[in-house]
Order: sequence, then C-alpha cells, then structure tokens
Amino acid sequence: MASIVHTEEVMGTVVSFHLDAPRMGEAALSVALGAAVAGLHRDDETFSPWKPQSPLSRLRRGEIRLEDAPAEVAEVLALCEVAGTLSRGWFDAFAMPGGVDPTGLVKGWSLERALAGLVEAGVTSAMVNGGGDIALHGEPPTGGPWRIGVRHPWRPDALAAVLEVERAIATSGEYERGRHLVDPLGRLGPPPASATVTGPSLTLADALATAVAVGGDAALGLVAAIDGYEAYLIRADGTEAFTEGIRFADADADA
Amino acid sequence: MKRAAIAVVAAVGGFAGVLGFNLGGSRAPLLHTSAPASNPPSGPPATPPPTSPGGSTTPTTTAGSSPPPTGVRSAVGTTYQYGYGQLAVRVTLDGTSITRVDTVGLQTADPYSQQLAQQVIPLLRHEVLAAQSAKVNGFSGATYTSEAYIYSLQSALDKLHKK
Repeated sequence: MASIVHTEEVMGTVVSFHLDAPRMGEAALSVALGAAVAGLHRDDETFSPWKPQSPLSRLRRGEIRLEDAPAEVAEVLALCEVAGTLSRGWFDAFAMPGGVDPTGLVKGWSLERALAGLVEAGVTSAMVNGGGDIALHGEPPTGGPWRIGVRHPWRPDALAAVLEVERAIATSGEYERGRHLVDPLGRLGPPPASATVTGPSLTLADALATAVAVGGDAALGLVAAIDGYEAYLIRADGTEAFTEGIRFADADADA
Repeated sequence: MKRAAIAVVAAVGGFAGVLGFNLGGSRAPLLHTSAPASNPPSGPPATPPPTSPGGSTTPTTTAGSSPPPTGVRSAVGTTYQYGYGQLAVRVTLDGTSITRVDTVGLQTADPYSQQLAQQVIPLLRHEVLAAQSAKVNGFSGATYTSEAYIYSLQSALDKLHKK
C-alpha cells in the first residue's frame, strides 16, 4: 500500500500529484512519480514558447524544420489540427501571433501523458492537477466520483460550481491577468469570464476550454456535439450556460 | 499506517483540506453571489525576506509517517515562483489547528501583479483560518497567485506533519 502527494513547479505553474497504489511499494511508486515528473519537465523543455532554445521556439523562428524537432512536436501539432477541426476554428494553434503555438493544448497533453505512465505503473487512484487542468484516474481515496471545484471568476475565495468528473477537466479564463486569449476569428465583444470542459481526454478538454473561453455560447454547442465532452460557461455578465450532460455536485453533500 | 495515510490526505486534500471555500449556494446565480471587483486589501503586504532561488520543489510526502506532533509550532513553506512573482507562506499550528497564516516572501514583477496579490492573499488567509472539512478533491481554474499560496502553505504543513 503506497500513497504519495507531491507538488512540482513546471510549465509555468504548479503540478500536484495525489496518487494511491495499493498494490505498489513506496519505492516503486516513487520511481513512477519520478518518471512522470521528468516527463513533464521534458515536455516543458520541448514546447515552451518562452524558452528561446526550445525546439518549438526554434521551429517558430524557422531555424529547424518539423522533421528535425522531437517526434512529440509533430504529434502535438497534429493533435492541434484535430482540436481545431473539432472546435470549428475556435481553437486555432496556427493563427497565433508569433507563429504556431500549441500552448492551449500541450499542458493537457503532457499531464495526460504523465497520468498514463503512472496508471501503467500500477497507480489505481490518481489526480494530476496542473494549474487547474486536471487528469484523473480511478476514484478518490474517499470513494465516489471526483468532485472538482470550479473557481469563481471574480472571487478568489469562492467556487462557482462543484462538478463530478471522471477523467479530465480544464478551465480557461481571463480573470487574473486580463485578456490573454486570442480570438482567431477576430470577433468583438467581451469574452466569457470562465470556460470549463470535462471529458475523457485532458488534451482535448484543454483545447476545448480554450475554444469556449474565446467563442462563448457559440462554442458551447460544438462541445455538446462531441461524444463524452461537456462544457460549463460563465459569461462576461456573470450569467451561466452549460451543456446538458454536465454533472453538478451538490456542494453541501458529503462526499 | 492506514490512519496516517488518511491524515496526510486530509492535510493536503488538494486545496480543500486546508481551505474552507465558500460552497454555499453554489447553484445560485453568480450575479447574486459575486463580490465587487475590487476587494480592498485587509492586511499589510508582507515584507520580502531573502529567498533561495530555484529551491521550489516540495518534498514528497509519503504515507506511513508517524502521527503529527502536538503543541504550537510553525514552519515556512517553499517559496513559489508563480509566473508574475513569488511568495512563501508561514503557517502556525496549535495541535492540529491552524492558528496563524502569514505571507513572508511576496515579490512581484510589476505593480499590477503586486496589486492583484494584495487583493487575493488576504482572502486566502481568511479562508485558511476558516478551514472546513474537505468536500472537493481539487480545483479547476485556479489563479496563479492562489496556486502559489496554497502550495507554499501545503509545503509548510508537510514540514510540520513530518517533524
């Protein structure tokens, strides 16, 4: 029986691991965690647009070709194309200032990859939370569904909702830093305050949350059309909208 | 062993173990629950002490340690870089109760980040002291400032629980 809580600063944020592995020893779990953490740092080195020597930065400057970059770069850019198609252009990694920028998807992809390695190693209950983008496996140690609070867009001390989540949840918003999301379709009007997407893959949930944060109500419907994915939107005026299958937890009920 | 494992999880519990978030009426319209955009700072900004650069990874907490000690004691958590600055949190426990939470190492890159941090941190401190039972496993949409605060607090609690 082994159990670990670990926090790691990487990818410009803090990633927390909550892991339980009843059939693993503590040493084996530590090794698995170490591999997961190393993978996050490796992905950060590969994909950071803020690190001048990252393969992604060099690709953006035209110093290397895609085939010269690590294989993961082509994989992630292909995923960006898929996400762009599924979101009907609301997520567009290829329309960013400064060149291709998979930032809206790559964190989710990296966290999901880290989780997959841990599960393969024998972890049966896992929460990998990278700055609010969360990949989940199994059940929490207390049992029942994972209950994830969505932060209130304007109140640091409050939650807007508690959602029951099985695999992945990502929230995108502009509430701390002002506008930083780019609308690839160049629309006017205030952007949503907060956009949350749940679904089986954190990679896609991350990209779709970005899409809903940009497209608002217009992007909500396309999330509903993707099997397994749900969205919860807080508009700029504080009103809410959500897809039919989203699961709100009763915040006052005991888990 | 099992009991100790639960204690660690309860102390960590995402943010929830230490933070009593306002969950009441979460399905009420947001318009009626939202606070004014400007929350006046309710405490003085902390003076930044020297911080160790780079030392930013908390030690791993493994279940199976002995039960937490009793008495009044405090620890300073890891200094976290959070994108627009850095901060560290000092937590004081009396037995298992958090009696005091201070920000001891707040440095920000620019005045706007300083202003944001000064709005957010007093609220976080209040919530820590109003700690309630963990009802959620994690948080989505966390802000940089609150993440850094929570994780520094967590590393401080980890230190106290491991002594």
